[in-house]
Amino acid sequence: MAKNSITTSSTAEYFAKNLQQVGFSSPTKAVLTTLKESVDNSLDACESAKILPELKIEIQKIGRGTAKNSDLVSVKVQDNGPGIDPDDLAKVFGEYLASSKFGRGQCSRGQQGIGISAATTWAQLTNATGVEVVSKTKKMRKAIKARIDVDIKKNRGLIKKKETIDWAPEHGTAISFKMDGRVQLNGDGGLITYLEGTTLVNPHVSIKYKLLDNDWVDVERVSKDVPLVPPPVNPHPHTMKLGEFMTHAHIFGKVNLRKWLKTGFSRVSDAAIQSFVKAGLNKGLLNKMLSTLSEEDFKKVYRSIQDSELMSPSTKSVLTVGEESLAKSIRRIGEVDFFSVVTRRPRICDHKPVVIEVALARFLDRGSEESAVQILRFANRVPLQFDKAACAVTKAVESVNWRSYGLAQSKTSVPQGPYIFAVSVVSPFIKFKNASKETIDASDELVEEIRRALMQAGQKLGRHIRAEARAEDLERKIRHVEQFGPMLVEGLVRILNAPAARRKKAEEGLVKILGRDTNTAEEKMKDAEVKLKKLKARQVAKGLIEEEEASGEVDDDTEIETALKPAKAKSKAAKKAKSSSPKKKKAKVKTKTKTKKKPVKSSSKKKAQKKKVAKKKTKARGKK
Amino acid sequence: MAVRKRGSRGGDDITKHAKEICEKMLADLEKARRPVLEATKCSLDNSNYNPKVGFFTPGGKMVRTELNVSSVQKMSRAVFMLEILLRNIKSGAVNTKRELYYISKGEVKHNPKLKALDFQEQNESDSTIDFITDMLEAYREEMNCFANDRGGQTYSQQLVVTETMSDGSKAVIDLSQLGTSPFQPKNRPQSLKLKAKKPIKFALIVESEGTANTLVTNGFTRRNPCILIGAQGVPSNAVRGWCQLIQNQLKIPMYFFGDLDAYTLQNIFRTLKAGSAASLIRNSDFSAPNVRFLGVLPEDITKYDLHDYAVKEADASEQRSLKKAKDALENDPFFRDKKNKQLANVLKWLLKSKRRCEQQSLWMVDSKDPTMPEKIILEKIKSGSYV
Repeated sequence: MAKNSITTSSTAEYFAKNLQQVGFSSPTKAVLTTLKESVDNSLDACESAKILPELKIEIQKIGRGTAKNSDLVSVKVQDNGPGIDPDDLAKVFGEYLASSKFGRGQCSRGQQGIGISAATTWAQLTNATGVEVVSKTKKMRKAIKARIDVDIKKNRGLIKKKETIDWAPEHGTAISFKMDGRVQLNGDGGLITYLEGTTLVNPHVSIKYKLLDNDWVDVERVSKDVPLVPPPVNPHPHTMKLGEFMTHAHIFGKVNLRKWLKTGFSRVSDAAIQSFVKAGLNKGLLNKMLSTLSEEDFKKVYRSIQDSELMSPSTKSVLTVGEESLAKSIRRIGEVDFFSVVTRRPRICDHKPVVIEVALARFLDRGSEESAVQILRFANRVPLQFDKAACAVTKAVESVNWRSYGLAQSKTSVPQGPYIFAVSVVSPFIKFKNASKETIDASDELVEEIRRALMQAGQKLGRHIRAEARAEDLERKIRHVEQFGPMLVEGLVRILNAPAARRKKAEEGLVKILGRDTNTAEEKMKDAEVKLKKLKARQVAKGLIEEEEASGEVDDDTEIETALKPAKAKSKAAKKAKSSSPKKKKAKVKTKTKTKKKPVKSSSKKKAQKKKVAKKKTKARGKK
Repeated sequence: MAVRKRGSRGGDDITKHAKEICEKMLADLEKARRPVLEATKCSLDNSNYNPKVGFFTPGGKMVRTELNVSSVQKMSRAVFMLEILLRNIKSGAVNTKRELYYISKGEVKHNPKLKALDFQEQNESDSTIDFITDMLEAYREEMNCFANDRGGQTYSQQLVVTETMSDGSKAVIDLSQLGTSPFQPKNRPQSLKLKAKKPIKFALIVESEGTANTLVTNGFTRRNPCILIGAQGVPSNAVRGWCQLIQNQLKIPMYFFGDLDAYTLQNIFRTLKAGSAASLIRNSDFSAPNVRFLGVLPEDITKYDLHDYAVKEADASEQRSLKKAKDALENDPFFRDKKNKQLANVLKWLLKSKRRCEQQSLWMVDSKDPTMPEKIILEKIKSGSYV
């Protein structure tokens, strides 16, 4: 047997050979992942320094790539963040698993410290140069400019061509990659889709970007509040496995079990400890020092904790965008017809605290009734753009019966229509299916939680759609009356060779009959509208929409009333004709008594309509 | 409400009835009352079967259509189509449903005000015609709307048919003089008179048109004084009316010979014998209750050692037929009646064994003798091997 020596390789070596695992599986994905990692780092840095982020992004094709069918692409991202300490530059861009956030239990975008180093590696492997960085902190007078490569053998960053330069911004970082890649703008994996997604869940960010030969696009922030990234909190005992639980004890060492439980975990109070005792925890253990506890003791403690009810993990560890910000942010993507947003309360799924936020919006300027809705998935405010089929979000969307909310949907598939379904999963510990963090693991608990959020948002959306359907129904009925009524009478008159007087009388009778039906439909529609208005009033109260927007239904009212007009006008005309007919005086008197109230009703409606139109005109003038 | 009348009627009766309905509708409208149209509910749950009558008759259930915003289109279209049909009755013109669809399109083309009534697809105008015939309790043929004359090719050396033409003249057709050509019955066989120039012993209706042709070519009708008819699958109105005419006018025994499977028994044979639920108002003129099922019977398989085979599990239509057969045994008044117990037993056998046997399998009994199927058929008739 041949002797094979066992060697160890560095982390950088492993990732250099397996870049596909971290999002560099194709030239197209390489560009997107590089942009994504750069933006994630910028946003995380800004948030931790409580700075409102301003990003400038430029992606250009600058030549031919070294590999077949690829271009040489330049990716530049500049932020107004706190800047990077010159001593940390090599670590940040050139060393794998060098992270300030790993395992801290914070909802930051980056976690492990792999992404940006992988981007440097890709640039280095395809263009023989790593990343060019310019960085300046508040304390520095001049900025540092350097090229950083990855020392693949030793997993560390190599600083090359380091120099100090004058740089106008007070602080910030600018990075520039030149690498093999291909630029895809639209579609699931497109750069625009990524930037729109980032815009949606980061209402506080301003982005200015230029992609290829397109013009600069300026997206202004809609919120001036920097999200407070919650400080790491003590772990919740229900979120730990036994091994983690025991390791956690080693950090504390010389304290007794009671103190450890109370100070080392969140949501463990004296009352909770009593419930552990009720669940089978030996009271005597509570005063024992941790170091004296055996493995069996730890197992017993762990079991009794798992068997007890505890308050949910602290919501402080979970960051949300918030319904108000989401509502504002969604309008930055396109012209929104209507939308509904839901932020669920934090829940434990798979032993981890998690918050689901959903924004469903129908757009006037994108998608079509026949195409599937666009699903935007987010994990800790980072858009996920690949492998959507197996993702918990997609599975949850497919599991909801959207037909009951008025959307078209084939059985157990994604619904159709010009909608965007944005689902954000926020948790300090998101379980991904792969290292490239593209697919959230679809555990039953998480899928159910997302499904509930979607259903909640769907119910709100359904109110809009139902109100629309009622209006459509009314319109259809009115159309029917106008179209088919006279034809029915005409046909009967022709078959019977009846005189004109009979036709007139029958037409009047028909208007009365069908008018009753349209009135019923109108009432139903108004009922639906009242419900919708209530919903909008709630949204105004929450600050999700402006008051002006909530009263937008006024226009619809006007339209509906205008649509009703012909049918009513006809009934009026019929009455006029009747009063002028000298023959049927008796019938005239009867009809008048029966329909006495009608003219009053329609005139009051007219007044209301006039008021609405006047209101509209005033608004328009104000705007001018 | 429409006055309910049954039985074959002339054009004048129908026109009168239609105008009565229209008059009532117009009068209701004048009084601002909702006109109501009523039609017999043509479905199995409204079908009665009396063995003495022999065919499905309608029960008391009616389909009511009241004028409202949802039904105004249906009613307008019904009146629109009724006008065309009444015009046809008046002028004596006849049309198929497809032609009526195009006539209605022509009306719309020449009168744009009617555009909203335009039928987008033929099935829309077809259902309007069906609604009118159900409402008036008239056959479509009575409203001069004819279907393609499918099936019913008849051969006989003894039968003479006298047809009264629309101008009142008579045409006499001696079937023995037609050579190899068959006689094709029309959709309105009521206008035909039958006469046997020599005694006719029986009539045989064969499910497959091809098998009927083979029997005739091999000399079946030359050797036997009979009438041989090819049904061509599910019997059309023409075949059903023609068989009733033979039954009523010649009073001879009638036998049906077809495949042994659920579809043949309930869709083909039962429709021929007792009519169908969909044509409740027509069954009195379009069914032949005296027809007997000659085979293939389950006992024939063993007796003549016929090739039978299992129903294919993957074949959706066969599975559907079996499911339907199960439903028929539970709900179909025809199969539930004591008189048809033997037929129900055949259906039960089919459900239990899940096997089928084709009519053409008779040719395997003696593959060298082309007249063997004829011999078996005659033997079965003689021995009373039918249900």
